[in-house]
Amino acid sequence: MHEFLHDPIDVLVAFRDNRVLPRRMRWNTRDYEIERVNLVHSAREGQKRIFYFSVSDHTNFFKLKLDPENLEWHLVELYTDG
Amino acid sequence: MANRIYLHIDMNSYFASVEQQANPFLRGKPIGITGKRDDNETHRWSPHNPIPRSVIATASREAKKLGVKTAMSTWEAKRICPSLILYPGDPEKYSDIMHRFNAIYRGFTHRVEPFSVDESFLDVTETAQDYLGAACIALAIRECLRDQCGERITASIGIAGSKVMAKLAGESVKPNGLTIVLPDETLPFIDTRDLQDLCGIGPRIERRLHVLGITNFAQLRTFPRAKLEEAFGRYGLWLREAAFGRDSSTIISSIEKSMTPTTPKSVGHSYTLPRDTDDPREVKRYLLCLCDKVAWRLRRDGLIARRVSAFVRFADFSGAGQQRAFREGTSDGMTLFKNAWSIIRNLADFTDPIRLVGISAADLQYGRPNPSLFLKEQKLTRLTHALDHLQTRYGSQVWSRAAALHTIIKPRSSGFHFDHEL
Repeated sequence: MHEFLHDPIDVLVAFRDNRVLPRRMRWNTRDYEIERVNLVHSAREGQKRIFYFSVSDHTNFFKLKLDPENLEWHLVELYTDG
Repeated sequence: MANRIYLHIDMNSYFASVEQQANPFLRGKPIGITGKRDDNETHRWSPHNPIPRSVIATASREAKKLGVKTAMSTWEAKRICPSLILYPGDPEKYSDIMHRFNAIYRGFTHRVEPFSVDESFLDVTETAQDYLGAACIALAIRECLRDQCGERITASIGIAGSKVMAKLAGESVKPNGLTIVLPDETLPFIDTRDLQDLCGIGPRIERRLHVLGITNFAQLRTFPRAKLEEAFGRYGLWLREAAFGRDSSTIISSIEKSMTPTTPKSVGHSYTLPRDTDDPREVKRYLLCLCDKVAWRLRRDGLIARRVSAFVRFADFSGAGQQRAFREGTSDGMTLFKNAWSIIRNLADFTDPIRLVGISAADLQYGRPNPSLFLKEQKLTRLTHALDHLQTRYGSQVWSRAAALHTIIKPRSSGFHFDHEL
């Protein structure tokens, strides 16, 4: 199943080697442990730079969006295997 | 320039590899990246619910093994490979990684020429000094790609004494190949390749060569030069040189390019409609969106256009187009639209369904349109100026004409540029 969303989420992150590493997220009152950060990329929305984190746990792929201007996180993509 | 050393680096199944890097559940599976993306809808993929009218922009290695090819329509790809996962392309992601790998290349030489979104030429003559040095650079680049882009994103690298040979070498071993063609190995190597393997020989040129009795590179080299020129013009001479592995084109660095700025010849945009239509209102709305996009690019780059051409492609793939010149240069979307629409109204009577619509603004020069004496037009100019400020700050989604509110131009993943960077 592959869905595009725009749901606000809470994210717990680690800062290491000048990088932001999402560790855990809360979506719809449920907590998800992030096992791997597979890819980080950025994109422009006008003059604003937005960061995207492609992360996964053992059954789901999540694409998280971080707006560094207001430090808001959104879950924008969900892919569940099977 | 004699005795140069070129690298050609081609990312393997680029868009699909990036998606497999991002999403581990796609790894090892046949996936096809489709040409257009729509983030505004939730898609549930199934064989019965594929993306309406799209093409495979990139197939994963697994999909290629099962017969799926680039530019194949999604329905044909699904017919060949029912297990194929159709995955919508994400141009912003591919563009970010593209800038990342070109930055890696620039760490080794300033002579880098991006050839398309997923391949680049590098002139490493000064840095490498010889072919062993070039091979070391290739391996170092491969390491950097792995560290900075991810282990799934791999490249095939060709090393040779000309750009045309470096590309031919790079494409001979996929995926993840490293092929070096030393100068004295050029002819034996090129003779192992088919005519169509050479960048510059497509199916049409190959057919014309066959008519002349040329079916391989050895025959192309010995074919009389004058007859080649007679058949193909100057291109025939290029073909003959290429058959010897020679190519006089060089790489101009971005620094050298910036020292000789040139005015672009045209700014255009075309769009394949979600479905063929004979409804003039629908075509009109898409045309208006395209004209606003082109006008924005003109204003952003400080250009005005004195000519507009509009074109349509019908459902049977036949097409028609015309152009119109203005007395005064413009960068206004509505002015472009009025002219483009009057052209299209003359070209299409809307009995034959339309598949694609496009416009191009040409005869460009740097400058601003002459200010109007009329109050209404002065107000519109001020309004456009304010909207441009908003678009610069917040991006292209920030405003829309009411008439185009429900007309969405989806960004494409395919082609030589990314829409969001235009």
